[in-house]
Amino acid sequence: MNTQTTTSGSGTSAASDAFDQLKETVGDVTVTDPKMCARNVDVFYGDNQAIYDVSLDIGNNEVIAMIGPSGCGKSTFLRCLNRMNDSIPSCRVSGDMSLDGEDLYSTSLDPVLLRARVGMVFQKPNPFAKSIYDNVAYGPRIHGLASNRAELDDIVISSLQKAGLHEEVHDRLDAPGTSLSGGQQQRLCIARTIAVSPEVILMDEPCSALDPIATARIEELIDELRQNYAIAIVTHSMQQAARVSQRTAYFHLGKLVEVGSTNNIFTNPQHELTENYITGRFG
Amino acid sequence: MTNPTDDSKQVAPRKDSTSIVKRTLARRYAAEKRFRFYGATAIAISLLFLVILLGSILVKGLPAFTETQMLIDVTLDAKTLGVEEGASEQELRSANYNALIKKSLREMFPEATKRKQKKELYKLVSTSAEYQVRDSLIANPSQIGQTIKVWVLADDELSALYKTGGLTDIANVTHTRLSEQQITWASSLNEQSRLKKQFNATFFKNGDSREPEQAGIRAALMGSILTLLITFLLSFPIAVATAIYLEEFAPKNRWTDLIEVNINNLAAVPSIVFGLLGLAVFINFFELPRSAPVVGGIVLSLMTLPTIIITSRAALKAVPPSIREAGRGLGASQLQVVTHHVLPLAMPGILTGTIIGLAQALGETAPLLMIGMVAFIVDIPTSVTDAATVLPVQVFLWADSPERAFLEKTSAAILVLLVFLIVMNAAAVFLRKHFERRW
Ligand SMILES: Nc1ncnc2c1ncn2[C@@H]1O[C@H](COP(=O)(O)OP(=O)(O)OP(=O)(O)O)[C@@H](O)[C@H]1O
Ligand SMILES: [Mg+2]
Repeated sequence: MNTQTTTSGSGTSAASDAFDQLKETVGDVTVTDPKMCARNVDVFYGDNQAIYDVSLDIGNNEVIAMIGPSGCGKSTFLRCLNRMNDSIPSCRVSGDMSLDGEDLYSTSLDPVLLRARVGMVFQKPNPFAKSIYDNVAYGPRIHGLASNRAELDDIVISSLQKAGLHEEVHDRLDAPGTSLSGGQQQRLCIARTIAVSPEVILMDEPCSALDPIATARIEELIDELRQNYAIAIVTHSMQQAARVSQRTAYFHLGKLVEVGSTNNIFTNPQHELTENYITGRFG
Repeated sequence: MTNPTDDSKQVAPRKDSTSIVKRTLARRYAAEKRFRFYGATAIAISLLFLVILLGSILVKGLPAFTETQMLIDVTLDAKTLGVEEGASEQELRSANYNALIKKSLREMFPEATKRKQKKELYKLVSTSAEYQVRDSLIANPSQIGQTIKVWVLADDELSALYKTGGLTDIANVTHTRLSEQQITWASSLNEQSRLKKQFNATFFKNGDSREPEQAGIRAALMGSILTLLITFLLSFPIAVATAIYLEEFAPKNRWTDLIEVNINNLAAVPSIVFGLLGLAVFINFFELPRSAPVVGGIVLSLMTLPTIIITSRAALKAVPPSIREAGRGLGASQLQVVTHHVLPLAMPGILTGTIIGLAQALGETAPLLMIGMVAFIVDIPTSVTDAATVLPVQVFLWADSPERAFLEKTSAAILVLLVFLIVMNAAAVFLRKHFERRW
């Protein structure tokens, strides 16, 4: 065991030096038309720090991709953006985060309202134990977005269509959501999120359970949604990041290493760690 | 065994691995077979005991569901009754029917002349016979002066002998408190077809009685139903609310840990302690009525609460956290997440816990003895403040009675208790199915 770590460690010792020396994020973290802003965010799980001093803007009408090795804190950062981490007792967040200039963690912004405005699609599909229809209708129902059944039907059907699921399920809307395949379930979860008409959509590896066709459909959808929403997507697929995003942020061990236009990051990365990662040289 | 620090790593598959696996395969299957055998044996043994238990209770208890009636000819003589012709119903009610029955018995068996003989003769019918005669007269008051045939309840000893077929073979009668003379009379009644078996409705209509043939389960059954109703109404909402609060809302800190430990301890407290508590607090301090289902229900719900809380918490814990995340991610409040998504999924488990708790409560005697629910209850309780007893206490009381006929009543009461339990479980299964169908 010991010999193994030394041998593999020697290969990346230059990179770990680069990481230790990392003080500031390379590239411009701000955008001209920000929807959400994060400044100097630290996140702790108990005594373990998962996010170190991350600042990042999410602009209107843009898709920002977050990439980085497993365990580097992408999900953690994403979950802070709609306060999903509140429910983890050991989790502590410091720094400033805002939506349209409103402080996320101030008392004036209700977390329930925040989550209606900042929707989330999770890594693992998690449909409710309800029918397909009720899964999608749930959000509009609790928020009172539809005044009658016809309006609700409209919302449900258009959300299912946008998520590319309608054709497959239109004849069994009252079948349980859990009876769908994994990929279908994920699209159901996306439909469920869009049905609330959030302003920002956070997606945590939404396509990890999907086949290439469904993935393409989701990516198309993300592109369409960009016209009206701000979108942050975590992905392990470099190609996907390149295809759907305008900006890309590279995380490493809890730090935001580099941000820039997707084009620049993939063709001309500034930081050694970023380069190692996207060229697949990273251990 | 390969050395884990061995540097010469084998990347290519071992050539002999198939044969090695094959060799161990037989052993593994044998182990599995043994395990299955043990499991099947365990189930067979427990089934056997269940069958023996149920069988013996059934054999002992079933006779209690039939009773013996005796046909007597009664002359409704106004003078013996002590009423005038055309008497009001009120007068007829308080008339002396006992004298009539005695007279008709004497007419049937004129050889009974001595005091002792007469007394033995009168003992062949139940003391409730007079009510049967009275009722048939009141139903048709114009019968006064006529001789009518009435089926009246036979005495329990005679009944036991008749039901076991002892009257057809009177030479070999054992186990009876009837005298030889009484047995002769009884068999002559049998020969004249003046005895019949019928379904024992009395058992389900009456409360307890000193006379076995008149003793019924109704009072105890009602007592059990009322007590359990109170138990359910108190413990279910409180326990579920507690479980939801502790599991979904309360911060996890030293206080909630302490509460959790105490709830677990409470589940292990001997039930009689709850009875003492009920006596001291609810009866002596709050002055609630003694022997009443309301106090029994409160005491039993104290006992049931920890069971339901613990199982409900386990059921809530078993709901995947991703469901909560999904709800919260859509902007549902914590309470909405719980009521819309978590609770429906946890409901089957919560119901199972509730049924286990209630089944325990149903079979509980000790705490109820402390609060006086061990009384001799003749009147059927109709409200939760009436004096009552419950099925297991009734079993206990009857098992303690010297009369042989109470033996079968005891088993019959156990059967009623079991049926009650089965009905309760069936209700739970039905509800569980109902909730499970909603995924
Ligand atoms: N609930 C939690 N409690 C304690 N530590 C956690 C918790 N969730 C995440 N962490 C820790 O925080 C760090 C970042 O985790 P995170 O889930 O954000 O990684 P990630 O970048 O999303 O990884 P992946 O690509 O595998 O999803 C990890 O070291 C992880 O162990
Ligand atoms: Mg993640």
